[in-house]
Amino acid sequence: MFRLICIVFLFLVPFLGKSQGFVDHTEAAGVNHFFEVYEGMFGGGVAVLDYNNDGYEDLYLTGGMQEDQLLENLKDGTFKNVFHKANLKPALGFVTQGVATADFNRDGWMDLLITTITTKGSKKTIPRAQNLIFINQGDGSFLEKSKSFGISESESFSTGISIGDFNLDGYPDVYVGNYFTDYDGGLKEISDATIVNAGKTAKGYLYENKGGEKFVEVSKKYKLDHRGFSFGGIFTDFDNDHDLDLIVNNDFGYKAKPNYLLENMYPKKEFRYVEQDYQMDLRINAMGGATADINADGYLDYFITNIRFNRFMIQQPEEKIFEDQAEALGTQFFTISWGANFNDFDQDGDIDLFVSNGDLNPNCVPMYNFYFENNEGLYTEQSSKVGLKDYGVGRGSVVFDLENDGDMDLLVVSQKPIRPYGPPSVTRLYKNESTVGNYLQVKLKGNASTPSAFGARIEVYSDSLYINHEIDGGNTSHISHNSRTAHFGLGAREKIDSLKVTWPGGVNQTLYQLVPNQRVEIEEELSPFKKTSEWSYKWVLGLLLFSLLFLILKYRSSLLPY
Amino acid sequence: MKIKFPSHFQSILVLSLGWMLIQCNVVQDNIPDHEIAAQWADMTLYVTKNTPANSPTFASRCLGYMGLAQYEAVVHGDIKHQSLVGQLNELNALPLPKAQQNYNWLMVLNRSQSTLLKSIYIQTSDENKLKIDSLEKRIHKILLKSIDGATAKRSLNYGDRLANELFEWSKTDGGHRGYLKNFDPNYHRDSFPGSWKPPLFAQSFSHNPLHHFWGENRTFSPLNKNLPLPTFISYDPSESSAYHQEFMAVYKKERKLTEEEKEAAIWWSDDPDVTFSPGGHLYYIAQALVRMKKPNLITATKTFAMVGMSVADAFIKCWKWKYHFFSERPNTFIPEFIDQKWESFWPDPPFPAFPSGHAIQAAAAARALQATFNNKTFFIDSAHVGRERDHVRNVEFKARSYPTLWSVAVETAESRFYGGIHTPQDNKVGLEQGVIVAQNIINLKWEK
Repeated sequence: MFRLICIVFLFLVPFLGKSQGFVDHTEAAGVNHFFEVYEGMFGGGVAVLDYNNDGYEDLYLTGGMQEDQLLENLKDGTFKNVFHKANLKPALGFVTQGVATADFNRDGWMDLLITTITTKGSKKTIPRAQNLIFINQGDGSFLEKSKSFGISESESFSTGISIGDFNLDGYPDVYVGNYFTDYDGGLKEISDATIVNAGKTAKGYLYENKGGEKFVEVSKKYKLDHRGFSFGGIFTDFDNDHDLDLIVNNDFGYKAKPNYLLENMYPKKEFRYVEQDYQMDLRINAMGGATADINADGYLDYFITNIRFNRFMIQQPEEKIFEDQAEALGTQFFTISWGANFNDFDQDGDIDLFVSNGDLNPNCVPMYNFYFENNEGLYTEQSSKVGLKDYGVGRGSVVFDLENDGDMDLLVVSQKPIRPYGPPSVTRLYKNESTVGNYLQVKLKGNASTPSAFGARIEVYSDSLYINHEIDGGNTSHISHNSRTAHFGLGAREKIDSLKVTWPGGVNQTLYQLVPNQRVEIEEELSPFKKTSEWSYKWVLGLLLFSLLFLILKYRSSLLPY
Repeated sequence: MKIKFPSHFQSILVLSLGWMLIQCNVVQDNIPDHEIAAQWADMTLYVTKNTPANSPTFASRCLGYMGLAQYEAVVHGDIKHQSLVGQLNELNALPLPKAQQNYNWLMVLNRSQSTLLKSIYIQTSDENKLKIDSLEKRIHKILLKSIDGATAKRSLNYGDRLANELFEWSKTDGGHRGYLKNFDPNYHRDSFPGSWKPPLFAQSFSHNPLHHFWGENRTFSPLNKNLPLPTFISYDPSESSAYHQEFMAVYKKERKLTEEEKEAAIWWSDDPDVTFSPGGHLYYIAQALVRMKKPNLITATKTFAMVGMSVADAFIKCWKWKYHFFSERPNTFIPEFIDQKWESFWPDPPFPAFPSGHAIQAAAAARALQATFNNKTFFIDSAHVGRERDHVRNVEFKARSYPTLWSVAVETAESRFYGGIHTPQDNKVGLEQGVIVAQNIINLKWEK
């Protein structure tokens, strides 16, 4: 019998009739950020994490040529940049790009993984640099551990990071996207030949987390053999078989390498390329994506951002294919999109969509962000109405709960325009004042699973409402990492009939009869995490072999004549 | 332990394999003269295609030098023809063969092509350089069979000196190591109505246009240096204007492309990231015709020189005008004034539109080829046969046939119209100017 540990926070949330849209809270919150590009290149991103475990969500923003920022949530709707205090200074030497967060060493504190494209200071002929991992020390500071984690020797032009436990050992594993050719062991020599090769497509890094102490690149072991101008992958269980598959987004798919869909063949140590079977081999400028079961059929769908027209890939489980239904669903608008975030922002019981748009700096033609309001399954662009029609050079975006008031707010990173630009272009924080219904927040705590339960499913049933949500492992949106707190809009519904959590691997737990407007924390039970290592495994195997050998020898000796 | 001797069958197999291995090392007794020229054209195209960050501009430049080097390597062995020294811009001298000394001109050709290709494509991979050496050695062994050692040594030395001098001359043309400056991040041009915008449906990740300075490069022909500006239909977005009609024609064509037009569009797309670029495609046709018609050595090499220098000069002039007019592509005009959801069949190249680089090069090459071959030469172009089908557009790469040399130029130009990336005026002017550029190459004093 399941023992459900359910910690309930009740919030005093005013609801019904509160529909003012979003309020630009940037200045009031003390957010002062823009991303500065390196030579017209990419970035930036933002990750949501509670770095000090005070129950409020903080933010890490990459700055590119600017300094990164760690914004501590001061619990009153404002932030304080504690980047320097948190000992994150090693990041200052790099042009950062994407960021994702996980408790990589399972010590109860959220760590940071940051991608970079080059170092600051003297300009490199071929811009490349190592990526950075910062381990949370639990005292408000981080320690840069890229070397001991084994990632400091790879010089890459990295973009998005997705985190998921693809081998189901309880440690958060990682997929890092690379855009241009990388150099294992560093770039030793620069000649005309190396320079012209530098612009070629790159392989990604599939990092297996070894006991929270080291990342080992296992692409070959898992039969990954692809390249692309990649903005990274998204770990997601698209086929509902309880292991994490991987969608890889590639830029210039129509002339270089298309998007990939990699089916995890767990327990076999293998990913299989199935993008052609599922018609997910998109040949577009795939910049990012968002995951949701928008038609509530139990299977996840994916919104993939693009230059010109985005793709809304709706899964057809019976035919085992995806279909682009962007036009039919009302989201086909001409623009250049990067970040995308699904959420029932107004809590009316269906899933809305925010899309962050921006020109290819330095072109600097203003283009506004989209807010697609879900109206009975069809989307209407209402950015103007809800106060999200910002013309900044948008990139990564995240949803999170700024004030723990139950609704989900938005932060959108914008680039500083290189050339003269009419409207302001700064990173903006939007406070959600658009809610019209009840909600439920769910926070998972994994045991056998990763602490953040990346890839776990939560299914909510309330009257006729069914919502199917996957815990975000990062690089949904664009090189960013949303909150892991699951948020469900319920409309006027007064109770949740049941809530089912399916942990990675397939074990599930169910809660019944929940009241709305609360945050429920659910801890995984049944199989508490046991730290194992390859060495202990090898010891057992060795002991077994020794015993077997001993028995054989004993048996043979018993047959010998005296 | 017993040793098992091979059975009768196994013995035959072992002997056969040994014989085959020996045969592999058997050197041919001879090789047709034109075939050596064609094999170096093949190698030039292989390196063009398989060197990263190559651009159609840089590729065309290299074809000019490689073609000219073919001719200069053998011209002193021909009684009717003369060197182009003194006739080309700033080419005041090249090494001369020693009087009263024997040379093997094929060996000079073989050596100079090898040396120049490795110099001009210094950025190509070590593997490609080994391939170049391998071709040189293979041909060298054949040629060595019929000449004495002293002649061979002298020929090799002359080949090296010729290649080195040509390479030194090439360094001052403005395009030397141009692959390091493909997309200048500091280049900026204020936009104006009708100006080029970085493509959204693009062939390149850069937002900056390719080789903005290329139009200032030194042309081979002095007469090509100062050609007058062609006429451009002025910007006017009103529906009744000639300018609007240009784009409307592109829009309408894209909506009713036939399968054959689609095949032509992808056939001539010649993306420099995966092919030998448009200039290379035309050099490929030159080698196909050389192999088909088997002209003598001087004619074969002159053909490569004329085609190479014509496409190189054509691109210099084309770039001059592209950056003068800095004109927009259909992908900019049509979504703004005709249909926002429109997208070209083929992605935009990363540089301004007018005039079409494909049209001007193809016209220049066709005109140059007409100087050697009868215009009414039927031939089959197999340049892209065997390539994986185009998955995005769902079109196969099928060999194409042409009744005349000029029909190649016409189809090349039209393919860009089918691709939705050039207007009729881009192509019309490109074809006209290509002929002029090539004529200035043809009109050089090739014969004594």
